[in-house]
Amino acid sequence: MRQYGTVTGCRQRIVRHAFAVVAFASVSPASAQVTAQSLIEGALDLTRGTSSYAELTMTIHRPSWERTLSLVAWTRGREDALIRFTAPPKDAGTATLKKGERMWTYAPKIGREIRLPSSMMSQQWAGSDFSYNDLSRTDNYLRYYDFAIIHTEPRDGHTVYTLDMVPHDDAPVVWGKETLVLRDDYVTLGQTFYDQGFEPVKRMETLEVGELGGRTFALAMRMQTVDKDDSWTEVRYLAADFDADVDDNLFTTFSLRGR
Amino acid sequence: MNRARRMPVKLLMQLSWRNIWRHRRRNAILLSAIAIAVTGVTLLNMMMRGMQQDMMNTAIENLTGHVKILAPGYRDDPGIERGFEVVEGWQTALPGGVQGWAKRIRVPAVVMSERETRGIQLLGVDPVRESISFLGDATVDGERLAGPGDSRLLVGGLLTEALDTAPGRRLVLVTQGADGRTREAGFRIAGVYRAEIAGLEKAFVFTGLEALQQLLGTDKITEISIRLDHEDLEAPTIAGLTGSVENLDVLSWRELEPQAASMVEISDMAIYILFVIVMGALVFGLVNTLVTAVMERLRELGMLRAIGMRPRVVVAQVVVESSIIMAIGVATGLMLAAAMFAFVADGIDLTAFDDSLASFGMRPTFVPVFDIRDVVLVVVLSLALSVLASFYPARRAVKIKPLDALRR
Repeated sequence: MRQYGTVTGCRQRIVRHAFAVVAFASVSPASAQVTAQSLIEGALDLTRGTSSYAELTMTIHRPSWERTLSLVAWTRGREDALIRFTAPPKDAGTATLKKGERMWTYAPKIGREIRLPSSMMSQQWAGSDFSYNDLSRTDNYLRYYDFAIIHTEPRDGHTVYTLDMVPHDDAPVVWGKETLVLRDDYVTLGQTFYDQGFEPVKRMETLEVGELGGRTFALAMRMQTVDKDDSWTEVRYLAADFDADVDDNLFTTFSLRGR
Repeated sequence: MNRARRMPVKLLMQLSWRNIWRHRRRNAILLSAIAIAVTGVTLLNMMMRGMQQDMMNTAIENLTGHVKILAPGYRDDPGIERGFEVVEGWQTALPGGVQGWAKRIRVPAVVMSERETRGIQLLGVDPVRESISFLGDATVDGERLAGPGDSRLLVGGLLTEALDTAPGRRLVLVTQGADGRTREAGFRIAGVYRAEIAGLEKAFVFTGLEALQQLLGTDKITEISIRLDHEDLEAPTIAGLTGSVENLDVLSWRELEPQAASMVEISDMAIYILFVIVMGALVFGLVNTLVTAVMERLRELGMLRAIGMRPRVVVAQVVVESSIIMAIGVATGLMLAAAMFAFVADGIDLTAFDDSLASFGMRPTFVPVFDIRDVVLVVVLSLALSVLASFYPARRAVKIKPLDALRR
């Protein structure tokens, strides 16, 4: 089922891969021993560090309208995150807290936090093309998937790896597989979600790579449902601070309500 | 004296019989009215009994059974935390006449595919034991569950369409484990079932009982459903079980499916009301005919009285006449109904009205049910009505003064 192509194609890929590794070994120390595992771990840690602070905008585009929201996000390790909208006024104060597997949201209008039931995890987050799962599941790659590098190519002085990620049979993952495009410096260039017939369903693309807060990563990303080119959600980093001093009290339902 | 008091039964029958034949056309019309009414009432009765039976079966096959054992509080807040462990040998408390029983886990869950998310009831079952529920009759595309350890899913056709998935693909199920924490896992779809009541397909997803216990981290079950050979065995079964399974609720399907139960009761009432209305209308026809017959025979009846017929015998004559007409009418009607029943006994195909029927919890094929008790009721009630109807005409007949009558 996994689409690795023919034996010769596979061999070619291995040869190309080996070539790429050799070719860039001198350029990037990270590629000295590139495995799918190390790539994914690196990509996960790139935008988080042990802790991080970021300011972002999110643009939701639909055929008849478009709106842009501002938000701030804190992360701690791979597990915890707090995201709070700051603008427009209608959405300001709305916050999402993730602790491990669990998520809460807070809406100032109703004045209380809600523990998100599992049934809502696959629903849209804040009306965007991202689901709550997209926010919470990122760190599950290591647990629930088998991954393999299926394609390697040089691009703009970097090596670009395409990873095939196939969920385990009993994994709580609906996708048939996902592909992740990563650069050798762990920058995510794209991600595609396939259904179990291996037809693409959702696609995330990196629009801009740049440096912020001392790290190079994807500064702008667009998520869209495949075949719906006039509906998408774009996230753009405005500011970022890594290994920042983040108060542990931040990741509590109390701080969801805002300071 | 004694001889005179005795009813001259043979003479009465003869007189009444001849009287009936004196007005063939009039009595034939009355007779056919009775026959048609009886046919109609009986057929409607059979259909309503069929509907009733159907609603009841549906309610029972809808994973309810005639009797169900549940933990207290499960009905208000279903979940594995309201599960129970059964004592070994609980089934010894079952009286005879049990068609089968099934242990199950039934918990609310969320099922997700690549494109959709739905709330469902997740059932852990032992597939062999499910012959007592609709699952036993359901057609399955793909494979059925192999056993209680099978960790694949059996998903309803409509749900499969809604989730845009297919046998062999994976679904993610999310539910609450025995420890209160969320459990989620991917499950392969073994097969897709089609139920006669389409709504069930959207509501229930099945997997193996042991497989589900493993996911939830428990040895418990949440229900035992018992199906009986006949509804009448319900009370002794409940009585027998209540003592033996302590701290558990033993409930009848009437308590678990109150809506279906009240529908059954309502249709019971409707059958009687319908019967009383139709036959009540007929009684007026009968009274009219009898009064006419008495008035026509004023002279004759006066003569009979003059030569010594007792008033009681005159009354009896009218009653017998009325009863004979009614009896023949009812017999003809029942025979007609029986003939028509034979014609539709295999069931009436109502697939054209499938959707509206399903909303009442009914199947698209409709099988009339013949209940001998209803036929007895029709016969007894009609004869009673015929006696009642002859009361007024008989009074008229008795009031005839022989002298007046003979002078005419």
